[in-house]
Amino acid sequence: MMPMSTRKRLWFYRVLTLTATAAIVHLVTVWAAPRLIMRVLMDGPMAHALNMQNQAAFPSPVNAASRSVVMPSPDMLYSVCVYDVSAGPVQIKANPGLQTYWSVALYSANSDNFFVLNDRKAAGKPVDLWLVSERGNPDGRVVPEGVQVVVSPSTKGFLLMRVLTGNYEAEKSVLEPARRTLVCNKV
Amino acid sequence: MNKPLYQSRSRRIAIGIALYLSAVAVGLGSAWWVLTKAPWMNATVQTGAWKANLRAGSPDADMYTRASVALNALLALDRDETMYFVATHDDTGKSLRSSCTYRVEGIPPKARWWSITAYADDKFLFDAPGGHYSLNGSTATLDKNGRFAFTTGGKEQPGTHWLPTPGDRGLFLTLRLYNPEKELQAAPTTMAPPTITPTGACA
Repeated sequence: MMPMSTRKRLWFYRVLTLTATAAIVHLVTVWAAPRLIMRVLMDGPMAHALNMQNQAAFPSPVNAASRSVVMPSPDMLYSVCVYDVSAGPVQIKANPGLQTYWSVALYSANSDNFFVLNDRKAAGKPVDLWLVSERGNPDGRVVPEGVQVVVSPSTKGFLLMRVLTGNYEAEKSVLEPARRTLVCNKV
Repeated sequence: MNKPLYQSRSRRIAIGIALYLSAVAVGLGSAWWVLTKAPWMNATVQTGAWKANLRAGSPDADMYTRASVALNALLALDRDETMYFVATHDDTGKSLRSSCTYRVEGIPPKARWWSITAYADDKFLFDAPGGHYSLNGSTATLDKNGRFAFTTGGKEQPGTHWLPTPGDRGLFLTLRLYNPEKELQAAPTTMAPPTITPTGACA
């Protein structure tokens, strides 16, 4: 085999290095994108404006000015909370008492939807959860009877409660109090 | 004549930096293209003009699906809870435009509740007069054959429910099925897809 000239060898290593760099940048970008987007959601201007760190918040009904999250559904009323279980469990309670669709969904810091409870699964019972980190319940707090313990894959994450509204103006006297039953705070 | 050593070295450094920046740009650009434009990313099934990614919202999603969903449909639910079908083209295969008028017609899907929402190409709602952003299981009126119908476009069409889409830009429709029936979850292509028919000239 003919040995490569110095110049050819230089270009061979250049191309190899650049291809590897492009591939690494590509993979890191794809891996990081959902995490960065969630970070903006959880720590960005909307989160600060609504003051929703371990606290439930109730954004206005969706309209054309709603630009915090892509593809907002105009048929849902949202209640939100950014939970942080690093300092201990977070309790989540809700009792919408509606016959129509509602759900409480939990999203980890990488955007995975790891838990959802809807009105059918709740079967008329109120939502009563303790959200804990993967370390569990290190302080050994006593979990009250009837409370469901849910392990969050990340210490910080996002709670989104959806309440169906086919016709907000006609239904708001019922739906607004229902969505405001959400409680999300440190135990 | 040989160039001075410093000149040749600084030239090599400049070329190296330029090449590295190009490699970074290629990495970033290819990631952006795959996550937002690649035709295979946002569809695992298709029925009519409607495409769905069945891995959306699932913790089992691969990192490409997770990133794509975060960019295009953040906070999606898994298909047990909600199925999302997206239409970016009409039934003739042409890209949807907000300045054109389309008649969308179909039968209510087999789900507990459904809605079809018109979005601009920035993935947010149009500034629609009257706040008419969607047609849903509560607001749809069915004809004697059990079919719903509505039109999208800049101008109201008499006789049908109208979803205003002002301006001239890309448009897409999202069909959400809340608590879809088990058979539909198992075989999403069995859904009778709402038809999307262009009517008349574009404004």
